[in-house]
Amino acid sequence: MKPLKQSRLVQKLLLRHRSNNRLWAALIALFAGTTLLLIAVMIWWNFNLILSGTHDNDSLGSTFLTIGKQVTDQSMGKKGASLFTPKEISTIENAPQVQDVGMLVSNRFPVYASLSVANGFSTDMFLEAVPDRFMDKQPNGWSWEEGNTQVPIILSSDFLNLYNYGFALSQNLPQLSQTTIQALAFDITIGRGLYTEQYTGRVVGFSDRISSVLVPESFIEHGNKTFAPNAPIAPSRLILKVKDPSDKRFAEFLQMNSYTTNTEQLRWNKMRGVVDAVATGTGLLALLLMGIGTLVFILFIELTIAKAEASLSLLLQMGYSPRYLGMFMLRRFVPLIVITLMASAIIALILQEVIAAKGKALNVTLPDLPGWPVWVTLAASAGVLLAFVCRSIFRAIK
Amino acid sequence: MRLSLEHIVPIPLKDKINEYNSRVWNQQLTFNSGERVFIQAPSGTGKTTLVHFLYGLRKDYEGKIHWSAFKMHEINREQLSQLRASSVSVIFQDMRLFPELTTWENIEVKRRLTNTVSEYDAEKWLDKLGVKHKADSPASKLSYGEQQRVAIVRALVQPFEWLIMDEPFSHLDYANRQRAIALIDEVATMNRAGLLLADLDDNDYFTYSRKLLL
Repeated sequence: MKPLKQSRLVQKLLLRHRSNNRLWAALIALFAGTTLLLIAVMIWWNFNLILSGTHDNDSLGSTFLTIGKQVTDQSMGKKGASLFTPKEISTIENAPQVQDVGMLVSNRFPVYASLSVANGFSTDMFLEAVPDRFMDKQPNGWSWEEGNTQVPIILSSDFLNLYNYGFALSQNLPQLSQTTIQALAFDITIGRGLYTEQYTGRVVGFSDRISSVLVPESFIEHGNKTFAPNAPIAPSRLILKVKDPSDKRFAEFLQMNSYTTNTEQLRWNKMRGVVDAVATGTGLLALLLMGIGTLVFILFIELTIAKAEASLSLLLQMGYSPRYLGMFMLRRFVPLIVITLMASAIIALILQEVIAAKGKALNVTLPDLPGWPVWVTLAASAGVLLAFVCRSIFRAIK
Repeated sequence: MRLSLEHIVPIPLKDKINEYNSRVWNQQLTFNSGERVFIQAPSGTGKTTLVHFLYGLRKDYEGKIHWSAFKMHEINREQLSQLRASSVSVIFQDMRLFPELTTWENIEVKRRLTNTVSEYDAEKWLDKLGVKHKADSPASKLSYGEQQRVAIVRALVQPFEWLIMDEPFSHLDYANRQRAIALIDEVATMNRAGLLLADLDDNDYFTYSRKLLL
């Protein structure tokens, strides 16, 4: 007579009653729950990357904000009420999410610009300067030293849009492209009365970040020193580098101190709320489904063991150890769990690649592989599931 | 392996024990290795209960049972399985075969646990007891007598220092009983194992070193 394999005999005794339909139902429930859980984490993680401006997503424009003091009826008449004091600047530096603070310094001297090619076009204007590290781009020629007659200017894109779509159309003036503007040379006169200085201004670039007419800091410093040596140098506007402008605490800080900013730049605040709600909703649903999947799987194991109870009890009486029988059951069930979780991980990998590709089309850089929160979630759910399955098997064998 | 019973009293029979004049219950007993012990137990005196206590299937008793270093009241499940697999074998009164397995599978499921008896010996022993031709029959289709003979062979395909038997020949005719006794004697001698047989009536199946009334 042929010797028979022990594991085959034990399998015949313990897993003979296993229903394949129930097994499939349990595995599908588990797969659906895990996949949904990973998707919820991926939604949260990807939006977090976008909102916090990591992964070169500064193009969303949310990491730099220009703030000023709100002009109220009370502060209207007070000179210097809209200026930031050093104490206020230091408070802002320590505000939630703020990484860097720069001063927007404006001219304390008259500036007069005229365009010789368009006869008669002339205007009083203002200039501002920010530290170079806050600029979204630094075009060629962005520097000025005393003695230079050429002054480079960076113009806000918004101003050009206002001219092209508002002013030019209403006044029947020609619309101007960026290259045309850059080709023009302005005559700039600074100072008043007898003592003035003449410069040639040239627009060298356009900024999406700062709504102003920017010149190099050195030029403003020179003008202020020359024409208004006694005027305060306190800034009226600040530019902030903010890690996560969607953080509610940051928005509350601005509101509490009556600082104004471009509210559109805080649009991510609302978006964050929506994303959080979606991710939480999906997460709760996923946890529920995962819980049901785990429950179905454990009930399936317990039912299998309950059906084989007589054989199990007799095997123990024969001298089979509870540990051997427990490990035998685990070896049958754990591979199924591992395969199911791996299938969910593959779905997550594919999905992240699709998300990254879609993001690229929208100019948003996202990684091709799911990040650590997704893997941590997968590992945690695997751990919890295995703990439940082990507990259920060893408890049933006792 | 020495078996010690220290004043064992089954809790369900506690009130009736004094009426029996038992030489086992509530006694201090020690059985040395290799002893052959017969326990005569009239119906209702707790014969199967005693076998279950000795084999660790029940714990509803007062007193202590020791299998050498193994203390049955303190033994854990892993130690118990080790004791059953390699030191103490049993033939149950109700046979306890796996009905869904064939005769040979029933033998193999036990023999494979320790792999100390060759399949050749197992097959030879089935042949000696006249059930080799039933090797491929499901246990559920065997007669009581055949089941009892398979249960006897199954108890022998493991290493043991003690063999506990609870009415092991109750379904066997004289000829089959003699063959079974000869086989058990042969294998027990080979293993230098002790025998503890519990039955209703007095008998001389083996050369007993002690006979006790339960």
